[in-house]
Amino acid sequence: MRELAELQGRFGSALDARDSETGALEMFVGDFAQIRHRLDIYRGNTTASTHKALEAAYPVIARIVGTEFFSGLAREYRLRFPSHDGDLNEYGEFFAAFLADFAPAHELPYLPDVARLEWHVHCAHYAADVAPFDAARLASVPLERQLELRPLLHPACAVLHSTYPLARLWQVHQDTFGGEFEVDFSRGPGHALVLRPGFKVEVALINDAEAAFLAAAHGGATLVAALSAAQSRGALFDLGRSLASWVESSVIVDFSLQRI
Amino acid sequence: MSPPGVCGGNDALRGVGIGLRARHYREFLDSRPRVDWLEVHSENYFGQGGYDLHVLEQARADYPISLHGVALSLGSADGLREAHLAKLKRLVDRIEPALVSEHLCWGAFGPRHFNDLLPLPYTRAARDQIVAHITQVQEILQRPILVENVSSYLQFRASEIPEFDFLAEVADRSGCGILLDVNNLYVNSVNHGFDPADALHAIPAHAVSEIHLAGHSAAGDLLIDDHGSRVAPEVWDLYVAACSCLGPVPTLVEWDTHLPPLEVLLDEAAMAARISEREYA
Repeated sequence: MRELAELQGRFGSALDARDSETGALEMFVGDFAQIRHRLDIYRGNTTASTHKALEAAYPVIARIVGTEFFSGLAREYRLRFPSHDGDLNEYGEFFAAFLADFAPAHELPYLPDVARLEWHVHCAHYAADVAPFDAARLASVPLERQLELRPLLHPACAVLHSTYPLARLWQVHQDTFGGEFEVDFSRGPGHALVLRPGFKVEVALINDAEAAFLAAAHGGATLVAALSAAQSRGALFDLGRSLASWVESSVIVDFSLQRI
Repeated sequence: MSPPGVCGGNDALRGVGIGLRARHYREFLDSRPRVDWLEVHSENYFGQGGYDLHVLEQARADYPISLHGVALSLGSADGLREAHLAKLKRLVDRIEPALVSEHLCWGAFGPRHFNDLLPLPYTRAARDQIVAHITQVQEILQRPILVENVSSYLQFRASEIPEFDFLAEVADRSGCGILLDVNNLYVNSVNHGFDPADALHAIPAHAVSEIHLAGHSAAGDLLIDDHGSRVAPEVWDLYVAACSCLGPVPTLVEWDTHLPPLEVLLDEAAMAARISEREYA
């Protein structure tokens, strides 16, 4: 198999960098000018695949920076984080870290946080499905034990903290957004909740107490422990209303007396 | 040489199918058009859940499904990627498709995946390697797969066997079926200068379990297999020849770039159905 490995190694290097194609030219039939041209077509295909995947995972970033700048980002990202998976939905995981490190993107300092949010939104799209909430099961738990229940979050859910109005930034860049295109950067830090009621991923703005409650629940806390985490944040928190709304929007999909 | 019964793909599907793409989900589910079966790209359904799988499961209730992989890289010199194979296995178990197919190519080497269908050198060593990988896949999936001829823009000097003899030998030794892409055959015959009729005679008719049709475009002296237009007249002609040579084979119309309205795809499928019915009448 050494010969096949040798051919694939040289072919691959030629696709990764035009500078390395000299070593590959003699492997192919035809004159070198023709071979170079045809290698360019393959190079274009492989670049286009990852570019499309990155754009699909980060549509908000693409809208914020525009097509041309995004192409530059995709090219640079691919050089630093080349694809290693045939499942292109896995491509782009390190985009937030890349943007934080990439000087030309620093003019928009909120981009890494938007990217962090978009990766969670992307993953939420492919997260496992969960059976609908079964209220009857909850009714079978004796009243005096209900505060010992541990809320179970939907696998698509994530809570992100940012110094920027992340949820708002995401919302105004959606196709379906019909409101005033306005983002108030003076609002200070906030939390964004990624949720998937049904099959459509959404992003909601939540306050400190709600974020603390969901973070505790995510860590396996009981209702009483999560409630005390929420109340320690000082912000307004209505347990009954929050639970009802989170069950309704599939943020909380079950309750269990056991640690999960 | 094939183990008996392994090449049973001919019975799994009948008639003409179309490739279902995300852009057409809504329209397709709302209209439930008359088409014999559907094919999707396996990798688009590798998630644990979500909307794509939900749509596929809904479609599956009414249409036979063919899972067509584009990134397993059967021809890698350094082995199959087990994580990829495990995701394919999970999907096959979940969907229980009528057919599972992949390509006669490679895309991954070392830590890199090039996310493209790259050509193989048609050598005995490469043949043995891909046969070993197909055997491994068929053992894990517990079913035969189909393997498709790819379009190519470059040929290796090291090649020892004509492309379609290579494909025939791979099918014979692994027991896999053949997915004959008539557009790719035409594209390669122009790009590399050979008679596509010779290729039709090189492949064993009994192993061909599916045919693909798609559009291509021209870039100078080269044809590019971009799946972005209607099937070219020359490819329809070659499809007529394939039908008379191979007998009834389930046929798929694919479209991947510049997606047209669903009705255009259905119109192409109707054309394929008219041809195959006429040829077998």
